[in-house]
Amino acid sequence: MPLRHVPDVPFCCFSAIRAALLIQRWYRQYVARLEMRRRCTWNIFQSIEYAGEQDQIKLYHFFGFLMDHFTPASSERNLISHIFRENEVCRDADWERYFCYKDIEVPDSYCGPHLAFPMTFCGVSKLMEAFKLKQQLHARYVLQILGETWRLLRILPNINHVSVCHTKEITICGDLHGQLEDLLLIFYKNGLPSCEKPYVFNGDFVDRGKNSLEILLILFGFLLVYPNEVHLNRGNHEDHIVNLRYGFTKEVLGKYRVHGKKILKLLQKIFSWLPLATVINHKVLVVHGGISDSTDLDMVARMDRHRVREASSSSQIRVPPPPGALADQHLGPGSEEQHPASLPPQPAHRRRPAELLGGGRAEGEAQAGWVRSDLQRSEDIVNLLWSDPMPQNGCISNEVRGGGCYWGPDVTEEVLGKHNLQLLIRSHECKQDGYEFCHNRRVLTIFSASNYYEVGSNRGYQASRTCRELTLRQRSTRSALRALRQQLFVHKSDLVGAFQEFDPNNTGVISLRHWATATERVLKLGLPWRVLRPQLINRAQHGMVDYQQWIRELSITDIMETMYKNHSNLETIFRIIDTDHSGLISFEEFRQTWKLLSSHLKMEISDKAITDLAQSMDFNKDGSIDINEFMEAFRLVDLSTHA
Amino acid sequence: MPPKKIEPKKPEPKKPEPKKDAAPAAKPAPPPEPLPEPPKEPDFDPKSVAIEFSTDQIEEFKEAFTLFDRTPTGEMKITYAQCGDVMRALGQNPTNADVLKVLGKPRPEDMSIKMLDFETFLPMLQHISRAKNQGNFEDFVEGLRVFDKEGNGTIMGAELRHVLATLGERMTEDEVDRLMAGQEDANGCINYTSFVKHILSGYIYMVHFFSS
Repeated sequence: MPLRHVPDVPFCCFSAIRAALLIQRWYRQYVARLEMRRRCTWNIFQSIEYAGEQDQIKLYHFFGFLMDHFTPASSERNLISHIFRENEVCRDADWERYFCYKDIEVPDSYCGPHLAFPMTFCGVSKLMEAFKLKQQLHARYVLQILGETWRLLRILPNINHVSVCHTKEITICGDLHGQLEDLLLIFYKNGLPSCEKPYVFNGDFVDRGKNSLEILLILFGFLLVYPNEVHLNRGNHEDHIVNLRYGFTKEVLGKYRVHGKKILKLLQKIFSWLPLATVINHKVLVVHGGISDSTDLDMVARMDRHRVREASSSSQIRVPPPPGALADQHLGPGSEEQHPASLPPQPAHRRRPAELLGGGRAEGEAQAGWVRSDLQRSEDIVNLLWSDPMPQNGCISNEVRGGGCYWGPDVTEEVLGKHNLQLLIRSHECKQDGYEFCHNRRVLTIFSASNYYEVGSNRGYQASRTCRELTLRQRSTRSALRALRQQLFVHKSDLVGAFQEFDPNNTGVISLRHWATATERVLKLGLPWRVLRPQLINRAQHGMVDYQQWIRELSITDIMETMYKNHSNLETIFRIIDTDHSGLISFEEFRQTWKLLSSHLKMEISDKAITDLAQSMDFNKDGSIDINEFMEAFRLVDLSTHA
Repeated sequence: MPPKKIEPKKPEPKKPEPKKDAAPAAKPAPPPEPLPEPPKEPDFDPKSVAIEFSTDQIEEFKEAFTLFDRTPTGEMKITYAQCGDVMRALGQNPTNADVLKVLGKPRPEDMSIKMLDFETFLPMLQHISRAKNQGNFEDFVEGLRVFDKEGNGTIMGAELRHVLATLGERMTEDEVDRLMAGQEDANGCINYTSFVKHILSGYIYMVHFFSS
């Protein structure tokens, strides 16, 4: 900024200095308050997201509950086997026929991009331009790209080995999560992938954002054009069960009403075939989640990665096959699809994450050899995709996520040392400031797509950041508060119970301290409640909180509250039941599901209440329930108590 | 902007000062009359501060303090450099000099290394909260009026930038840019009454957000 000639100003004038000091103080205070607000907002989102991941654990427990409590004779058997029904064993050739795009015609009215194959750089550029203009690629081309990608991925190894010569750099990108602008911004600032510009995309391309499919198509496009320079690692969100919950399934079905199911099925296969890690110059290991004390890269390199379709702890649930089914199953490496249902009849054995890392191993040993390796394989993958580092030594199960582990600096040293590596780069964790080193700078976390990392061997490691705070852009304080108020809303009865424990005389008011304690006890979000209180609930006089007034302001019945509380689980369950992805489930399926869920939650809900509910949800009055319409009913209206 | 190279900052080990030899005993000249020293302000003594905050207030401060804790194991500690910001986030308005004083006038290199816990922080906060003369609307306006050459209610943006960057506790170019964003008209002039309202209004919004 050029220093303009300033005319004759009395610089030593006391009031000038005083004015400057005043303004400077106030400005600094404003900035500090902004910072606190920013951190608060961040904490809210973090805690609610982690709580959502815990919900995922509850879902898996629910399935375990089903397995433990419902015998083949019980009336819900059909529903359960329907839920867990796996597809028939097929060969790749059969799948290729199913996925064939050739019969799909592109109408003249289609004004999106036309693609030619084999894929070229021009083709991918055309694709990107089209997506920038919010156009949608025709299903025919989608299936074509996905088909080519699937074929390519099947010949790639589990671990990409990359050599970057000393004049080049390689760029590593963190989680993209469906945010197309992030990807485009990285390409804009850093350049497009090419022979001169290698890239590693470290997983979590999909879910949450609304352009997950576009991101995949662009990444796969570049992968097809530059298979030696573009490397994709699988993330924990490249998993169709997780996608049911976090939005990708919905996105695809919404955009492709006719061919969405086929696209999703092909994507399931592609995800299972994504490589698990990348090693650069024999020195740097790049993986989405992390490692565990049992990580052995040589074993990882040898496994059949595609046999683990769900890279999450749900794959630990084994279903006893229906009697007589065994004769029809193909066993051994020849068959393409090994399902849990094709294991030899053992008692259903649900292994919790803790068991996997501790005593459970002895039981695993007792099972047939190849069964053990099947489970071990999926455990290894879960660890690579779900683990988080921790400051203390050791390796413990990751209860927060429900999968993978927390690993300490000693494990880092051991695993890196075993394979002669210098650095582990991973993503998976979202934090405020960008990248973060830990474990004596042996582990680097790149947090989001807004932050990418350049590795150039002549310049050492550099981390760079884009200047937009993209991770916070969408996360305004207002939406954080709205999400938090929703949490209060759906936990109303538990909160009231907790408040009343502090109010034996039923006065309807409790102290601020008791309010904060009770709220944390119920919600368990670890948030600064006193700081947030003015935005959540009105204060009565003298430092007391009038909770009964708050109750009066909300109106929600018990069954509705249960539904709201579990709505994301409900949606996931419904989508699993809807195995043909038609978007509809029958009355009977709805009723049975609800009954199961309520018995699992130990709630008393009468058949009549469920039937009434089902009927009120049948918006078309045709005897089936449209899942999307059902879930629409759950979008909570913004509570306007505090604007 | 070129990417920054990340290097962990290692504190320099303090080298012991070589002891000077005693000067040979020559006849010393009579010492000049010492100049009258300005009255020395006593150093800040945290033990002398009586905490007057209520329990509720202290609990709330603790929450805010935790928000700023960046230690990997959540030790409830902040660096000296963060101390001023945390105090400001809690509604206080110290100058940087005020903050350095309660911190015991640490060396610049210690600011991002030395840590303090909440128990140490609280008396400092109490002391700062007792400061009078926070400055109000009229004080601001009066101060800026100094630069109003034509007495017409406006000052030159460039002048104000210069003042904020060179006088008092100087702001960086970045900080000045952010503060003055959108304040100057086409001629580079600022109506300083609305400017002051702009600064104060940001504060008021924060007050509503975080306290009652």
